[in-house]
This record gives sequence, structure tokens and C-alpha cells, in this order.
Amino acid sequence: MKSSKILAASLAGVAALSLAACSETSASGGSFRAANTTMVVPFAAGGGSDVSGRTVAQGLEAATGVNITAENREGGNGAVGYSYFLGQQGNGNTLLAAETSLLTLPIAQDVEFDYTSFTPIMKLGDDYTLMVVRADSPYTTCDQVVEAARTERVVAAVSGAVSLDEVVFSLVEQDQGVEFDRVPYESGGEVVAGLLGEQVDIASLNPSEVVGQLESGDMRALCAFSEERYAYEELADIPTAGEQGINVAFAQFRGFIAPGGIPEDATTFWIDAAEDFAESEEYKAYIEDNYMQPNVAYGDEFADYLGTASTELEAVFAK
Amino acid sequence: MLDNLLLGFQTAMTWENLVWCLVGVLLGTVIGLLPGLGSTTGVAVLLPLTFTFEPVTALIMLAGIYYGAQYGGTITSVLIATPGEAASVVTTLDGYQMAKQGRAGAALAIAAIGSFIAAIISLALLMGLAPPLAGLALEFGPAENLAIMILGLVIVVSFQGGAFVRGALMAAAGLLLATVGIAAGSGEARFTFGNVDLLSGIPFVEVMIGLFALGEVFHQIRMGAEKPIRARFKDMVIRPREVAKSMPSILRGSGIGFFLGMLPGAGSTLASFISYGIERRVSRNRDNFGKGAIEGVASPESANNAAANANFVPTLALGIPGGATTAVLLGAFTIYGLQPGPLLFEQQPDLVWGLLVSFFVGNVLLLVLNLPLAPVFAQMLRIPYGYLYPLIILTSCIGAYSVSNNMFSVWVVLIFGVIGFVLKELDLPIAPLVLGLVLGPLFEKALVQTSAVGDGSLAVLFTRPIALGILVCAAALIAVPRITGALLKGRKENQKESVTQ
Repeated sequence: MKSSKILAASLAGVAALSLAACSETSASGGSFRAANTTMVVPFAAGGGSDVSGRTVAQGLEAATGVNITAENREGGNGAVGYSYFLGQQGNGNTLLAAETSLLTLPIAQDVEFDYTSFTPIMKLGDDYTLMVVRADSPYTTCDQVVEAARTERVVAAVSGAVSLDEVVFSLVEQDQGVEFDRVPYESGGEVVAGLLGEQVDIASLNPSEVVGQLESGDMRALCAFSEERYAYEELADIPTAGEQGINVAFAQFRGFIAPGGIPEDATTFWIDAAEDFAESEEYKAYIEDNYMQPNVAYGDEFADYLGTASTELEAVFAK
Repeated sequence: MLDNLLLGFQTAMTWENLVWCLVGVLLGTVIGLLPGLGSTTGVAVLLPLTFTFEPVTALIMLAGIYYGAQYGGTITSVLIATPGEAASVVTTLDGYQMAKQGRAGAALAIAAIGSFIAAIISLALLMGLAPPLAGLALEFGPAENLAIMILGLVIVVSFQGGAFVRGALMAAAGLLLATVGIAAGSGEARFTFGNVDLLSGIPFVEVMIGLFALGEVFHQIRMGAEKPIRARFKDMVIRPREVAKSMPSILRGSGIGFFLGMLPGAGSTLASFISYGIERRVSRNRDNFGKGAIEGVASPESANNAAANANFVPTLALGIPGGATTAVLLGAFTIYGLQPGPLLFEQQPDLVWGLLVSFFVGNVLLLVLNLPLAPVFAQMLRIPYGYLYPLIILTSCIGAYSVSNNMFSVWVVLIFGVIGFVLKELDLPIAPLVLGLVLGPLFEKALVQTSAVGDGSLAVLFTRPIALGILVCAAALIAVPRITGALLKGRKENQKESVTQ
């Protein structure tokens, strides 16, 4: 069972922690000394960012022996947390659990940061979305939804003005020349309730948010907005949007960043720690439990990814 | 059903789970007691400690923190008029008055008894009917939520009986304050003046601490050195007659609390306000409300505890969080490798039933702890004000700082402390302001969503039967007292005329 696996992983983590604590000085070096570290989570406790931030904090703690505590600084679709983080310039002992709002906020809202203000450390992986409908919905494929939107009102739920589902629906609209009406919600859980309560017709959610409803048969997945089909057994039968003639694939990244202007050896320290974390059972369990893709990238490679994704998103919000 | 209960008891009654349940409810009581530190933060902070536990043990402890905090939040509301949680705001209205009369012990005891009865009722409903109730809760979309918010505001505005205008004024001020921050739906920043801290709005926990705790301290200082409350032990213990008298209020509070708690979004704060408002109208003792009526403590405390339990209806039956704390608990499910969703009851019966039975165990523990402790806590009021006031100011500031580790919060507390003082001097009611601020963002979200569902029109409010029904109730609440009042007045005048004739 998964739980026993995690238990074993945690025990291994505790063991690693005590070992690492003995060799802490040799792990760091140069002018940067890792001390008690804060992992800023720019969203409320309980959401996807929170889970990811806390998992990473645990994993890095095991890898480095440094005490890492997660701290939620939510509000303004993430703007509050990132703005606070901007003020931590040069402090190598703070980290932030980042996701796509790092890129969408500077494009769509008036904030003082963009991705170049920070030091990218590690991209944990990618999380695609599925277009889902209620079990009794007339639609069975994504192109039926698009065809319906040409002649009638199709209402989509979105979980925020700059959220991943907003991006995905906008991409579909641009690719197909249709328009969906939106009902704004504030979390994936609210979207699920709205869809099940017949308030909206379609939603685009991460697999981890709907897999329970798919398994129970309360919802159906029409297509995955990914380049290739999922390798996970539960999701392998879901066709990609591309197979249905809709040229849209977009993944939310999850990862963590450090403030801008930190010493070079601090960057190296965290990247080394991240590489150790990526080898751990905890990392594998996190990726698998959340049906994500383990596409890791570190440092400059992560920065390149952010640049490409940002350009892509600018086109989405430029309409 | 019986098999499941048996399975639940087998899981919950192991030594390990019993001990952690006790640890959870104790921690929860302390967390609820501290101003600023709510159950959501408490559960999130303590979550990492449970990673090495068996999932069911971890969830039992975390859930214990959650409902333990509901009990703890009451203590400071009653003793020093400082609600530990938003759901205990209304409790201050009569609870603090009781404390001033030396009856804090009785107020705390009835809160514990009410909470316990509410927990048992809601637990029975949760065990027997969670899946169908969750289906019913889904019927409540944006339009219905909007109607409930309107009803809530109407009820609170009419709290003060005759002072309808004052209540409306303060509720409106609360709604106005709630417009600061990122707008629901569009994501635009409003009234933030470039201040990052204001992006998430004016934080209501800090506002609450300022208005209630500091406002009351300033007010008392202005009143001059009042003698410490005289609390005789005889008055500290609740009388059986008082428990009997409060039963109808407890039962109504439990019902209202359970219903509102199972709707995702509405939550226990609204439940406590609405049940208090209804009690004010229907209770036999309604004339004493606001002056230390024991029903005024029993009703909101039963409602917020029932709502806390009912939050688990959508959480366990659908995998949709019922509130902020249950959202954190759902996050914990995934960390333990469990898949929340409609199949949880089938796939993890030992976990679900073990957890539910642990609620029962936890609430028994809380009752056993709180009843004898009520008079003990009440003794705190014997501390002379010269020592008590600095203590309240200090804990308020620390509590505020701990909410977000930010000096901004402390400033909010101090500013609203002064505002609270001024409001008291002007005899303006504070509770409607707090509810306005708490409901504001929810109200706006429901408004934006309703108009989006209705393609730009709010007409859906009137075409959906449930929403319409709730709106009619709200309208009746405003209109009926006025009409009956006018009729009574007319009759009196007739009588006068016939007398003079």
C-alpha cells in the first residue's frame, strides 16, 4: 500500500536527517552557511502548492540536515507571497514553492516582480489538466464541446483569473476560434462542487483533483491537454486533445525558487540538495500520488524553461 | 451500519489512537484559546509531525485539534470578550455579559454541554446520511449561497432589536472594508494603494482581535478602575435548571449549524450568527438577549460545533473541502497516500469509521475536560485589571503577529483597537461589522458567480426555488416585525379611542 511506502520513506528521511546533521559543515562550504530556512508557500494551507511546498521542505531537510519550515503567505492569487519573497533579496535561507502563477501574475496583473527577479532552483515536474464533465453530460469528446460552443452557450468553471484552467481554456478558444462563458471559482475543490452541482458544463482540472470522482463514475474525462497520453494506468485511456483535433497541450510546472541576488555557493548548495531530493522515495511518491510528470530541471535549465513558458503565456493573455 | 460502527470502535479505541485523540483535543483547546491562532493554522503547522504516524492515527489527532479549537475558542470570548475564532464572535455578546455578572463558569459549562450535544447529533447525521446529504449540499450553487448570505446579513442587522439602522450601518461598513484587496473573479486590486499587505484584504482575525480585545480594554480603562468581577463559587457552577432551559436553543443551534456547515463555503461563522439571530426572535428568554442570557451562549456554540462536524459531509463523501481546516485535512489525505473522493467510504471503511468514532471519543473527552475546568478558567477574572489588561494587550499583539509573522497585522490590531473603542463610546454594535467583513468576500464571490451563471443577469435568484425561498424568508424578517408593530400600534390607538369615548 502507498501509506506503508510513505512511512518507510519518512523513516528513511529521519535516518538521513540524523546522518546529515553530523556532516552539515561539509555539505555547505564557501561563504554561504545554510541555517534555519523558510519555505514560503504563496497559497493557503491545503492546496496543491501547499502540499508541494511541504513535501519539498521535508525532502530538502532530509537531504541537507537544515531545518526547513513551510510558511503560508497567501492572498492575491499568489501575489502577496511573491511580493514578500521579492523583499528577501540576497537571503539564501528562504525558498518559495512556485508554480505557474510566477509567470501569469506579472503578465496579467500589476506586480513588481517577474521570473527574472528570482533564482530558479528546481522544477519538480509538470502537471497537465483533463477536461472533465458530469457523468450525465451529453459530451463524450472535447471536439463535441468545441462544436457545441460554436452554436450555444457552454459554461466553463475556472479556479482563478490567472489560473492554469483559465490558460488552458483560452488556448482552446484561440486554437478553435470559439468562446466559453466563465464562472470564476477560487479553488479546484470549489470547481468540482460547481460541476457536480450542475452550475457549469465543463472544467479543466489536474488529475489529482478529480481522480476520485473519475473512479466513482460521477465524472468523465473527455481529453487530456498533454502532448502524449498519460502513462498512469488509471488515466491511460484518456485521449489527448491533439487526437481530437484540438492543438492544445499545456502543463503547470511545480518547483521551488530562491530569492534573487543570493551568493553563488548558496545556489549550488540548494541545487545539490534538490538533486539528492529527486533521487528519494519521497519525491517519487509525491509525483505518483499527484499523477505528475517527473520532468525535472535545475538552475539555468529551469530558467530557460521559465523564459519559454513566459513567452507562450504572454500570447495567451495578449488577446 | 452496525458492522461499520463496530469497525470504527475497533479502530478508534486502540491505546495509540485514544492517546493521540486526547493530545489532539488538548492541543486544539489551547490553539482555540490563543487569539489569532486558529484551527486551520494549528492543523497545518502540526501536520508534519504526523508524517510517521499511521494515516488513521494522524487524521484522528488532526481532527481532534480542529474540533478541540471550537471548544477553546469560547473560553476567551466569555472571559475577556476576545473571540479565539471568528465562529465565537457572537458568543461574546451574552457570554461576556454573563462573566461580568460573575457567571462565567456557567457560560463556559453551557458552551461545553451545547457543543457536546451538537457534536453527537451532527455525528449521527454524518454517520447515517453523509452521502445523500452531500448530494443535497451540491444543490446549493452560487444563487443559493448568495441568498443565504443575504439572509445572514438581514438576521445580523436585526440583532439589536430596535436599532435596525445602527446594525445596518455597521454591516455595511464591514462589507465596505471587505472590498479592499483582490476582487473576486476579475483579479483586479482595489483600494490597496500599492501596499502588498493589503492585496489579500483587511485581515479579519486581526480586526476581530483589535475591535474586541483592545477595544474592550480601552473602554474599561476609560470607565475608570472597576473592581474585579466578584465570582462566588456557587455562581460558577451551572444549575441543572439552566441546562434544561437551554435545551431548545441547543437543538435549534445544532440543526442550523449542521445544515449550514455541510454547504461548502458558508461555514461555522455564519451558522453561529444566524442561530443567535433566530434565537433572539424565538427564544422564551429573548428579552434578556444581550444582557447575559444563557441561551445566547448555548445557541451559537452548539451551531459552530455542529457546523465544524458537518464540514466533514462534503469532505468525506465527495472529497470536496467544507471549509479552510478540512481543506488542510484533505491535503493531509494525499500526503498519507489516500485518495479522497466519493469512494472513500467504500475503499477505506476502517479509516472513515475509525475517524468518525474518534470524533465521538474526542467530544466526550472535551466535555469531561471542560466541565470541571470551566469554574477554574473563570477564576482568571479574579486577577486585578491592573495585571489583566497588559496581559490582554500583550497576547493580542503576539497573537496578531503569529497569524502571518508580519508587523502589518499588529498595526491592524492597534488601529482597530482604537476604532473598537470609538464604536463602543458611540454605542454602535460591533458584531455586524465583523460579520460584514467575514461575509464580504464570500458575498461578492457568490454575486459574481451568480451573475456569471445567469449570463450577466441576477434573475436566476428568483427562478431557482431554493434561492427564492431563502430570499422570501429574508424579506419576511424585515417586513413582518414592522407590519405587526404597526398593527399593534394601530390597535392600541383604537383602544385608547374607545376608552376616551
